[in-house]
Amino acid sequence: MDNLEKIGEIVNYIRKNKSLEEIDISHDLDLRENIGFDSFDLAELTVRIEAVYDIDIFKDGIVNTIGEILNIVEKK
Amino acid sequence: MNLLYSDYKNNIHVKWKQLIDDVNQAETYNPYCFEEDYYSIFRHIILSLLHGQHIILLDSDLSQEEISSMVNDMDISKSTKTLTLEKKLISKDDLLDRLIHTGADWSIILFTSGTTGLPKKVEHTFSSISANVKISERHADDVWGFAYNPTHMAGIQVFFQAILNGNTLVRLFGLSKEEIFRSFIDGKITNISATPTFYRLLFPMENKFNDIKRVTLGGEKLDTQLVDKIIAVFPNAKITNIFASTEAGALFASQGEYFLIDEHNEEYVKIDNNELLIHKSKIGKVENLTEDWYRTGDLVEIISDDPLRFKFTSRKNEMINVGGYKVNPHEVEEAIRKIEGINEVRVYPKKNSLLGNIICCDISTNNMDLNEKWIREYLKDKIQDFKIPRIIKLTDSIDKTRTGKIKRELG
Repeated sequence: MDNLEKIGEIVNYIRKNKSLEEIDISHDLDLRENIGFDSFDLAELTVRIEAVYDIDIFKDGIVNTIGEILNIVEKK
Repeated sequence: MNLLYSDYKNNIHVKWKQLIDDVNQAETYNPYCFEEDYYSIFRHIILSLLHGQHIILLDSDLSQEEISSMVNDMDISKSTKTLTLEKKLISKDDLLDRLIHTGADWSIILFTSGTTGLPKKVEHTFSSISANVKISERHADDVWGFAYNPTHMAGIQVFFQAILNGNTLVRLFGLSKEEIFRSFIDGKITNISATPTFYRLLFPMENKFNDIKRVTLGGEKLDTQLVDKIIAVFPNAKITNIFASTEAGALFASQGEYFLIDEHNEEYVKIDNNELLIHKSKIGKVENLTEDWYRTGDLVEIISDDPLRFKFTSRKNEMINVGGYKVNPHEVEEAIRKIEGINEVRVYPKKNSLLGNIICCDISTNNMDLNEKWIREYLKDKIQDFKIPRIIKLTDSIDKTRTGKIKRELG
């Protein structure tokens, strides 16, 4: 599974818990506008990504898109 | 200034004139304010002031179950009574004048997360709730970005500061970053008061907002890195850090993380075992307060004794601060324990760069059908959204301390 799929799985897991349907993940999706995350969902996302990649994606400020998350986890 | 309230996201703009008409036409009054729409909440508070009737603010997202236990199973709809304004309002000035001269009978009741179980009632009078409001010509043209929940103490304080000066309130709470920036500009906002989490969510920010002249932070421990970032994007703003609580309102203000107690306040403040204590004359009516000094549960580090200067270090009790909301882990555990087949529950915070903390929960159960989604769905009608654990681990056993208490370590 590549990183995009792994992040997609986490994103969809959080969506599923909010009773939202699964979506296809791509680089340009905005976490708030397209994926529908609020600040609590974003906080949950950081914890779940940290559990897999051992990195806090919001440590140096807010990230907005899936692509920006991939940049952070792949730079590590 | 004609506008009382603007919500640019939903394109709602309410003029002072409309408020005056609404108040003049109102024929009933119910002391329980259980409304979602901000303007309705503001109107309700104003109506209560003009009638000299008390008001009880309830969060619009409370479940029926939570409300029933907060009001002792009373049917709140039965409290509606016929009440019209005897002397109708004639102008905005007339309204402001009457609000400022609100009678001694008026009181407002808020709920704060108690240290055990259910939210605790706190009652304020007009003088205690408006103690920190500054009314002057200098504030006549302020436009307030409204970034707090309107039924919580911080929101009420901003509301009174704005309303008593005849200012406009512009909604910022619950908006996306782009909508907030748009509201700054379209609403010509000059003052913002919000939690550190609110500001944190605005970064990274390329824009600079030169028209904002005052930025206030409160409700959570301040981090100095954030203050540097705020100064860069609001270059003309004076930055103030406020220490406030539902019990006392805004107590101290500072330009950084250190609070200096001036001579007006020194007799009302003392520090015992690193815990900050406030004299009861400075706070609202709190249930079960019998001592002269109110224990805030906030731990401080003393920087100097005379004058007293300190900074906040942590909370004494176990309340978890999630983006400015206080969550009582016992209340959440209690709600989860009602699920069939639960053996043990442990609710605890995990540090989070976005919200300060995030609520986590370990559950031991022999009910194989339970899963995270189901538990979260179940809790939706039982407790407010911000109290629901975001990370739930289902296990078959939970560590206990030697005394048999469940461990509640920081994650």
